[in-house]
Amino acid sequence: MERFELRLQDFSLDDDQQAVREGFGDFFTKEVPSSRVRDAEPLGFDADLWQRLVAMGATSMALPEAAGGDDATLVDLVLVAEELGKVVAPVPLVSHVVASRLLARAGGAAELLTAAAGGERIVTLALQPVVGSNRQLVPDAAVSRDVLAWSADGLALHTLAEPAAHVPNQGSTPLAWFDPAAGERTVLASGPEAEALFRAAVAEWKLLTAAALVGLADSALNLGVEFAKSRRTLGVSIGSLQGVAFPLADVVTEIAGARNLTYKAAWYASHEPGARPDLPLAAFVQAAHAATESAWVSAHTQGGLGFTVEADISLFFLRAKGWSVLGGDPGADRRQVAAALLASV
Amino acid sequence: MDFAPVELTPEQQAFQREVRAFLDEIVTEEVHEHERRTGDGFDERVHLALGSRGWLFPTWPVEHGGAGLDDVCARILALELARRRVPYVTSGTTGGVWPAVERYGAPDLVAELRPQVATGRVRFCLGYSDPESGSDIAASHTRAVRDGDEWVINGSKMWTTGAHNCQYTFLITRTDPEAPKHKGLTMILVPLDSPGVEIQAIHTYGGERTNAVYYSDVHVADRYRLGEVNGGWAVLRGPLDEEHGDGRGNGLDDLSIGVGYTREFQRAIDAAARWAKRTSRPDGTLVADDPVFLDRLGRLVVETEAADATPGPMGRNKASLSFIAGIAELVDLVGPEALIAHGGEGAVDGGAIDYAHRFAQGTATYGGTTDVFKNIIAQHVLGLPRLRLPGDKQLVR
Ligand SMILES: Cc1cc2nc3c(=O)[nH]c(=O)nc-3n(C[C@H](O)[C@H](O)[C@H](O)COP(=O)(O)OP(=O)(O)OC[C@H]3O[C@@H](n4cnc5c(N)ncnc54)[C@H](O)[C@@H]3O)c2cc1C
Repeated sequence: MERFELRLQDFSLDDDQQAVREGFGDFFTKEVPSSRVRDAEPLGFDADLWQRLVAMGATSMALPEAAGGDDATLVDLVLVAEELGKVVAPVPLVSHVVASRLLARAGGAAELLTAAAGGERIVTLALQPVVGSNRQLVPDAAVSRDVLAWSADGLALHTLAEPAAHVPNQGSTPLAWFDPAAGERTVLASGPEAEALFRAAVAEWKLLTAAALVGLADSALNLGVEFAKSRRTLGVSIGSLQGVAFPLADVVTEIAGARNLTYKAAWYASHEPGARPDLPLAAFVQAAHAATESAWVSAHTQGGLGFTVEADISLFFLRAKGWSVLGGDPGADRRQVAAALLASV
Repeated sequence: MDFAPVELTPEQQAFQREVRAFLDEIVTEEVHEHERRTGDGFDERVHLALGSRGWLFPTWPVEHGGAGLDDVCARILALELARRRVPYVTSGTTGGVWPAVERYGAPDLVAELRPQVATGRVRFCLGYSDPESGSDIAASHTRAVRDGDEWVINGSKMWTTGAHNCQYTFLITRTDPEAPKHKGLTMILVPLDSPGVEIQAIHTYGGERTNAVYYSDVHVADRYRLGEVNGGWAVLRGPLDEEHGDGRGNGLDDLSIGVGYTREFQRAIDAAARWAKRTSRPDGTLVADDPVFLDRLGRLVVETEAADATPGPMGRNKASLSFIAGIAELVDLVGPEALIAHGGEGAVDGGAIDYAHRFAQGTATYGGTTDVFKNIIAQHVLGLPRLRLPGDKQLVR
């Protein structure tokens, strides 16, 4: 890798990006108090919230104009996903947007694309290649009857009569077993190009999930910081003690790096796809780590209260792992990141 | 947001070629050998050569001794210097101190020194840390007493890196021991050739040389005072804030203030990656094919990517702490070969990992320890309350 390349290093958001962040930030803060997250358990899907999010343009914005979209970039999507993560909103936006974009690229039926852009049909993606008749757990498959999956003979759309049965899980996500034999199967594309599309979609899923985890980690941290400011011991605020403050300082450091890494990865994926395929994976690894750290440190900062279901940190703790684990073992991503380095030195 | 390659104008392209050709000529293997031997963070020949081009203060106007470079050309130069690992410590401290001299020094002093720092003949080092108080800079005890038109200085400083290659030290002195801690300090630019100054070498296992500097009845003319008497804290904050950085760039510079540390880490990682591609284990398997090796190496790569993307005071901590944790892991991954020094048989990429493992350790200490930075992050990034301590405002031993 050329380590000393003369490139811009501008991580700042322009006015439009700032507007996206603020618009969706306001929306999510207003619409999704923690009670709404709790009410959506255990499925983790709030149909009314989904409708409102669709009305905000979230499901169509990043589709090509031809497919009824606004050609928004992955950078915009990362900003939306981060805001979504801040309130751990119970909506399948990440899977749906990624699968819709893949559908558009792979030449999916116009009718389905239109329904997906309008949020009426929720689509999702099997993140692992299908081998034989082996089933796998697919994110959001409990609310989607359209599942895209890659196997040796190509990228296929599996349409079921009904979404598969929900599997209750620690993160309260709409997880379900996906059986490749079930439903109607249409091969959309095959060959190396189709495989590249599938791999890019998985990377997009990891990137947007990374952004959601950054938002999640940020809110989790804030709960701990606010608690540390007001809680007292021995006549001083606990937040003034370095044993309490330093882990929080470490967490905000991890989050800041994770956030900027998702931005950078999104920029490369939008503007120079193929130049840094390792970055979305690196962002996912870092964000998963930051979310795990943040949730535990924040819960611990809140003492016994941080271990109770009443405390909002519980929502974040359970989803930090419950969301990141859907992307599989980060070890696999780390191996790919290392392989990219080896190929370049 | 933008990470695009910078399009160079024909003039900028020519400048890039000029920089590369010039540096290829002056940054010889001998320069690196000198650095390995002395740990000075400074090479006089290179320093003066850069000064002769106006490249020590490259954005200064030519009439001040700079090269009048635009931001892009300055970045071109910075990248080429970093690529060749040109010793940077003393040029860095000189550049860091200058703004305080310019702002607080008497006009004739500024006029005298400006051309000399530009050519490289005059260099500055940092005289902050007392033997008793490194982190608590404002608790400095090194005493300066007024005597007519002069100051008489007594005391000692630890860790004055580069003192033996510098003409002046940017010294923090105690001028009023009765005043509250921050209000009895005065900054003086002390000529290091003054009688009574004694410089003794201190060596680190990172290979660096730094110094203890002793001051015995050192007489310094009042014209070398910077700023008000007892107003030294404000004068010192300038370079310190610069050293700590504010995390905002011009879109060209690296985001992280710890980028120099991360570059050394990446150099070691790249060395390990090349090693893995050419090395078979005793059982005949290629290291590069080992998924466990890749998993662990990949984690370190992610750490460097995160470090480079971390802003403000957090960027420094991430760079240091990920380097220290990660380089130990990298040594485990490569095994004993990793610790063979430059020139030893089987040294990996000229001992890059051996060096990085030693060098990493100091990065969490100088420039303010990572713990001091955690205090800064806790208070200024998170808004957590500050612990009240007996020495906050008073001088207490
Ligand atoms: C190679 C090298 C080069 C250097 N170059 C220079 C130089 O050019 N000029 C110069 O002036 N100085 C220089 N320094 C000094 C450096 O800035 C100090 O070593 C550093 O600030 C720590 O001070 P100390 O060594 O006195 O340790 P102390 O301040 O005594 O700290 C000891 C330990 O206590 C911790 N600690 C201290 N205070 C706090 C606190 N408030 N909260 C939490 N933890 C705390 C520290 O993190 C550290 O772990 C250099 C040091 C080294 C090693």
